Amino acid sequence: MSERPSLWWIDWRLSPGPLVRETIGRFLLFCLLGFALLTLLLSGGVSRILADRYAITAVLRAEVPSGEGEGLARKAAALPPVRSATYRDPETAWKEFLRSYPGLDPLRGAGENPLPGYIEIRIRHDRLTEEDVEFVVSALRAVSQVDQVLAGEEWLPRLLSAGRLASWACWGIFGAFLAGFFLFARLQERARAVALAGDFAFLAERGVSAGRLAFLRAAGAALSGFLLAALGAAAGGGALFLSLRKFPILERVIGSPADLLLPRTIASAALFSIGVALLCSATSLLGWSAARAGRK
Amino acid sequence: MTSGARRILSAFLVAAVSLGILFPSTAGGARDVAAELRRERGRLLEMKEREEKTARELTEALWKEKRSKGRVDELQEGLKRQRRLLSRIDRKISALSDRLDRVEKAVRELGAAHGRARSELRRAEFVAFSGQRAGAWDLWHPSDRERERHFMRVYLAADAEGVARITRAREKKEEELTGIERQVAVTEKKRTREKKVGDTLLSRQEAERARLSGIEREKKRKEKELKSLRAKIARMESVVSRVERQVKERERRARKEAAGKSARGSAEAPRRFASLSGGLSAPLAGKVVTRFGRQHDTTFDVTIENRGVEIEAFSGASVKSVGHGEVAFAGAVSGFGNVLIVQHGGGLFSVYGRMESFLVKQGEVVKKGAVVGRLPESPSGKSVLYLELRAGGTAIDPTSVIPLDR
Repeated sequence: MSERPSLWWIDWRLSPGPLVRETIGRFLLFCLLGFALLTLLLSGGVSRILADRYAITAVLRAEVPSGEGEGLARKAAALPPVRSATYRDPETAWKEFLRSYPGLDPLRGAGENPLPGYIEIRIRHDRLTEEDVEFVVSALRAVSQVDQVLAGEEWLPRLLSAGRLASWACWGIFGAFLAGFFLFARLQERARAVALAGDFAFLAERGVSAGRLAFLRAAGAALSGFLLAALGAAAGGGALFLSLRKFPILERVIGSPADLLLPRTIASAALFSIGVALLCSATSLLGWSAARAGRK
Repeated sequence: MTSGARRILSAFLVAAVSLGILFPSTAGGARDVAAELRRERGRLLEMKEREEKTARELTEALWKEKRSKGRVDELQEGLKRQRRLLSRIDRKISALSDRLDRVEKAVRELGAAHGRARSELRRAEFVAFSGQRAGAWDLWHPSDRERERHFMRVYLAADAEGVARITRAREKKEEELTGIERQVAVTEKKRTREKKVGDTLLSRQEAERARLSGIEREKKRKEKELKSLRAKIARMESVVSRVERQVKERERRARKEAAGKSARGSAEAPRRFASLSGGLSAPLAGKVVTRFGRQHDTTFDVTIENRGVEIEAFSGASVKSVGHGEVAFAGAVSGFGNVLIVQHGGGLFSVYGRMESFLVKQGEVVKKGAVVGRLPESPSGKSVLYLELRAGGTAIDPTSVIPLDR
């Protein structure tokens, strides 16, 4: 019985040294991309930053008592798009105001506080849209105790547009990195195919079909790419987790570390790994065909 | 008719009888006495005229005194009212001054508060402007900036409202101040006016007092004069009476001697009138308004002696002779106007006073009921006839011999 050599991981057996270097490089790249992907996924681009910066202020009427204001805040917090609603009584509002305009403090002396209490409403980052803001504003304006609702109608559309542009830019950069990886990996595959062309020709002479060889090489590349991407994403996720734990302030921009374990995050990481596997497979096939075309 | 006038008329009649207008002189020896009697009666008449005049003047002085006292009392009352009014005005001015001081103080305080509030508002605007400019490019906290801007508007609006409130309060106080000042000016003007009125009243009162004291002096003088005149008249009347008695005595003796028959006593006078041929008839249709004899005059508060009666009748009514006789006198007599005297014979006379005109002449014979004259016209439609009857120089009550409506 003639023993037919296994074509799995043929490149590893024919050229182990360069492949180790390639694998390490790709792993590091995938770590980086995984980190970026998870960061983008958790932060929603810049929407979490915007959501942290943006707030709706419901200015209450002067005669509304504190208990009623707090009750209103609880009701506002129950609205679906609302992340938090905090009531601030007139005294707190006055102190905040004087902190912003310290020069006014001595002017009023014994004069009474002219400012009313207010409710500060923060929107969830994933609901920071004009429609949701309008929904919350309409709900607040319908309340008789609310004197005025400050929702930045003048500048909110511009802010949201800028946020969308920034998010698209982030995802664009991420995509560019992926595209760069694809092009670089294709060149690597072509170069390896050219370098191993003699070995492949030897195998062809002994009855190994070129198609099978290419398929098996692509399958191997996909599997290794999947594993590397998964490992890289896990490592990137770990690094992100540690960073968020170490620097809690980042949570306001990126999100909670617990969000990393959400199914949608894991699913996104899995999709990323599959995507990378497909890219690796594609680069293997494209490199093979480029090498064969060059030899002819 | 005043008592003086009646006395004059009586004197006139007595004088006329005594002087031989009615009787021819029967004895030459009586001429001296008659002349003396005429003189005395002339003097008496003159004195009575003077007395009448003085009494009139005294009455007038009394009226003037009464009026003057009334005016003095009125002025006194007016002065009291004026003083009360002035005192009230002074109190009002004092209260207004206090109020004025308070309001002026309030206006000053509000002015100062207004200045402070405006200055604080300007500083707040400056702080707001600086803060807004500093935060204009703070894109990192857009919502906070928006809220601060809103609160700054609220703050500035409250400050502006405070300034406006003070301005309104000050304007209101200034209006009040102007109103009070106007009130003070009006009240002071009123005080000056009322003071002038008071001064005028005072000077009028002084003048009236001076006038009153003049009137009182005049009254005293007149009273004294009247008293003196009355005493003289009384003396004169006693003289005249004495002379009259002498004359009468002589006449009586003369008649006794001459006729020796028809002398009848004066006590029979009414019967003598009744015995006239055809009796006597009323001189006109009317009502007796002044009776014969001693009567009390309520107007002047004096008792007067009426020698006749006054009959009120329609103005212009015809006056008829009460009996057959001859007109002994027709002319004007002081105090009685036009007087007509009819001699009925036997010492009987009828006298008609206050007539407007005569329809008969002296010496003319008139029958009983013949029209001898007319009463004067009067705006009231009523006139008065004076009727006096004399028998032997003695006045008798006409109503006792003539049917007159009383």
